[in-house]
Amino acid sequence: MPPSSAGASAAGAHVARALGTPWRAVTVFLLPAATFYVAFTAYPVFRTLWNSFHKVLPAKEEFVGLANYAELVRDEIFWRAVRNTLVWACTSPLFEVSIALVLALALYAKVPGRRFFRIAWFTPVLMSYVVVGIIWAWIYNYDWGAVNTGLRALGLNSWTRAWLGKQETALPALIFVTTWMWSGFNMVVLLAALHSLPSEVIEAAELDNCGWWGKLVHVIFPMIRPTVLNLVVLSFVGKMKIFDLVWITTKGGPLWSTETVSIYVYKRAFEWNTFDLGYPSAVASVWFVIVLGSVLTLSYVFRQREKLEY
Amino acid sequence: MHRLQRAVVLFALCVFTAFAAGPFFWVATMSLRTTSEISRDHYAWPGTLHWNKFPDAWFNSNYSTYFQNSLLVVVSAVIILTLVGAMAAHCFARYRFKLNRFFYFIIFSTIIFPPQITIIALFQILVQYGLFNSLIGLTLVYVAFQLPITVYILESFFARIPGDLFEAARIDGYSEMAIFWRISLPIALPALSTTIILNTILLWNEFLYAVVLITDEDKRTLPLGIQRFMGDQMEDIGMISTGLMIAIIPVVLIYAFFSEKLIQGMTAGAVK
Amino acid sequence: MMPAAEPPRIRHDDNEGDNPMISAFRPRRAFIASVFAALVALPTAALAQELTMWSHWAAEVAKRAYVEDAIKRFEASKPGVKVKITWYEKSALYAALKTALRAGQAPDVFYAEVDQTDYIDNNLLADLSTGVNWNNVEPWAKQAWTFGKGTYGFPLEASTVEVYYNTKLMADLGVTVPANGQFDQAAFLDLVKKARAKGITPMSQGVGDRPFPGAYVTHEALLKKLGMNDYDALMKGKLSWSDPRVVETLTWVKQLVDAGAFPTSFTSLKLGESHIYFHTNPGALMFQVASWYTARAFNPPDKGGQPVNFPLGIMQSPAMNGGACNNCKSLAVGGSYVVNAASPRKDLGIAFLNSFATPEMGNKWLENVLVQTGIKTDASKIAGPHAGYFKQLAKANESNTYYFGTPVQVMQGKPKEVFTQVVNSALPAGSISVDDVVKQMNAAK
Repeated sequence: MPPSSAGASAAGAHVARALGTPWRAVTVFLLPAATFYVAFTAYPVFRTLWNSFHKVLPAKEEFVGLANYAELVRDEIFWRAVRNTLVWACTSPLFEVSIALVLALALYAKVPGRRFFRIAWFTPVLMSYVVVGIIWAWIYNYDWGAVNTGLRALGLNSWTRAWLGKQETALPALIFVTTWMWSGFNMVVLLAALHSLPSEVIEAAELDNCGWWGKLVHVIFPMIRPTVLNLVVLSFVGKMKIFDLVWITTKGGPLWSTETVSIYVYKRAFEWNTFDLGYPSAVASVWFVIVLGSVLTLSYVFRQREKLEY
Repeated sequence: MHRLQRAVVLFALCVFTAFAAGPFFWVATMSLRTTSEISRDHYAWPGTLHWNKFPDAWFNSNYSTYFQNSLLVVVSAVIILTLVGAMAAHCFARYRFKLNRFFYFIIFSTIIFPPQITIIALFQILVQYGLFNSLIGLTLVYVAFQLPITVYILESFFARIPGDLFEAARIDGYSEMAIFWRISLPIALPALSTTIILNTILLWNEFLYAVVLITDEDKRTLPLGIQRFMGDQMEDIGMISTGLMIAIIPVVLIYAFFSEKLIQGMTAGAVK
Repeated sequence: MMPAAEPPRIRHDDNEGDNPMISAFRPRRAFIASVFAALVALPTAALAQELTMWSHWAAEVAKRAYVEDAIKRFEASKPGVKVKITWYEKSALYAALKTALRAGQAPDVFYAEVDQTDYIDNNLLADLSTGVNWNNVEPWAKQAWTFGKGTYGFPLEASTVEVYYNTKLMADLGVTVPANGQFDQAAFLDLVKKARAKGITPMSQGVGDRPFPGAYVTHEALLKKLGMNDYDALMKGKLSWSDPRVVETLTWVKQLVDAGAFPTSFTSLKLGESHIYFHTNPGALMFQVASWYTARAFNPPDKGGQPVNFPLGIMQSPAMNGGACNNCKSLAVGGSYVVNAASPRKDLGIAFLNSFATPEMGNKWLENVLVQTGIKTDASKIAGPHAGYFKQLAKANESNTYYFGTPVQVMQGKPKEVFTQVVNSALPAGSISVDDVVKQMNAAK
């Protein structure tokens, strides 16, 4: 907790202790949130876990023990989806945050028309994934899309491809789209972080004659590291969940090269010729464990160097 | 040397801006052209500005219904979220009690839950309680979905309010509830507006829950409605573009007006 | 249901009972009141009979007109009954049904196809065995919907897999179609190369929004090469895909792909768009598709139909070298209607479907929709503006034997998913080798 409020809350706590913790107030304040949480978050998680041990059909539920999980282990489509999603989640932060960092540092000096630029960089994030998917499916269109038209204009006809139609290029093409979406957002956040740095330290570094690179590495970077790490975790988590973009553009094709776990769960639950919800629940449960594990690992690794505000 | 550096930076800036905003701009121009005009040349500037496409999409293609549904669901969800989230955040920030951090952590950790872990069971639950395919059911799900991030942002803000204010109020005889309404909330207005805008943007664009939990055509929200023009014949690019603009513009406007507050609020969470 | 029988209550605050003149009027007032009540109650009770119906074919004008006409006739024959129909696109329909059926909010009557055995496995469909006059329905069509002891769907649409082509473009290429309408493997490959050389796309298939159009070439070829029994075994996982005949056929298909048989936008081209690609813009030489082609092609041109006087020809799909059955063709029951087993108006729904089971309705379907049907029809009575096309279609089928069902109908679960990705999509897109196809299909059993 920031130093100022630690003192304040200690004083407040002193008063609270003197009066006793106002349990009734606490209950009133927490009850609505707790109800929502239990009814629509906690209970569904347990229900999904429960489903995963059953065959869940409209008329009946049949206990099948670990059968769903056994099938899961052998399911190549699932493991393909896991690989795709992890690749996406690991490469995205690298691109999104580094591009944003480079540009933010370059823009550290005040630039005219900042507000206009900020709005322009933020627009990709303001659009829903559905809108983004539709627009980029057009941009990647083989015959008249912006990418291929541009390549042809530059005389690079041999580089034109059906970007979303070939397995080798489909996933990278989608990763490019999310990079496009989130770089602007990251840049805005980083700029704000840079501008909120205490100016005395920067001036002191300048006086010390650190040189431009030295200043960067030894002074600025350590101070914005928490922001950068937070953005990395945010980006990672966001890609682990991704559904809408893939659904609108490739639906997991071609040949499962863009199949993400969320797409696979949705397809198994609502598109395959079966009403069984048990198997997709098993997929969701395993994925949940994987996501949790990854995030905990990431936080642990980052926390070694810096205490994140939790 | 300095001026050259400046020029390079400005150039890179403009390139990046064109890259980021280009697609939006392209769709904006296409929204004012008819599909046959577009098929002839996809990148031309609109010759005649077909403003009539907007009312056409609105009145003749059910867009008004989708827009209204989205409006209803998002406004209700955001109001509930703000109240419930603020109460919980205030409680976590200002009161010390056993398990405070534990409960806070539990609620916060659900931010990383992938929606798939809950979507199937939520579907079953809503069916069980007769809330499936209803805007009320969707609203409730949305509230639960955004609660963690709301509480997170508000809690860090509430925690910074100096405790003396509360002490003084208690000594003056205010009840805990009154303290919340009269002191915490008014001071936290910047953070509240941040969460309001954030939630509005995220819920306005939400797709997965909407597509699973709503089946009736007249209860559809905007992200589902956009797909309406994607029939199976030649893609009606002109109308789809118009539809996209109707979906995007409200959000861009909200952002343009409140961008300062939003940045402040978001960086309050991300920055030390 | 009607409260008319209830005797009128005597109001205690009514003083008229004292006057004998007025009290004589009371029974008549009561009678008028009860008649009035009966009149009000009658339409209300009848209005309760509204059938909800969800159907595919939102974009197919002729089929919509046919079904809506059938609805009008049914409503006329049963006063007080209304049928409320909502038209969908197929993928949206299936998604909505999946959730609605589970939630108990499904319509009374809805569109389904034969591959949806999960509906039957979960007892979601009403048994139509006794409520429909099956004497007026082709036995193979009834068979397609018969599972165990019951028949669960009404087979309205049936279709054969045809190869449509543009006779003018064919003539421009200087190629003559053989008298029996069938090229052999080498000649067909040659035709593909000739078309490409002239910048014409040979076949306008597209798999953007359906799991079957890319596979037609392959499975028709396999059917001809293997013959009915072995093809059936292959579809059901009893014959290995490494069988040399299968590999030979796949290799030939790969040659077609490599010669540029399919459009570059193959993976994203939607079904409706591929129709337009064939007959309007940019125009292709051939289009292999089920005979419900005409349901879209005969729409007016501004609604996605083919141009007026389009030179449409029909040919057989190529004969395979050493093929066991070169005049075998796939015939599938297509769009059908089923009744929701949980519907309170089940019997009314079944009666509605029964209203389709007359030769008159069958002929009407043929004449207007120009696709085959499961209803028994009297071919001699076909008239109307498209009678010429129908004769052409009949001629193209005169010496065929039929295998009932397309792969996506016969396969289930994992093999179906792999077939869709590998044979329907990846092989024609040129993304995969024949060995890979064999390996993945064998592994998916």
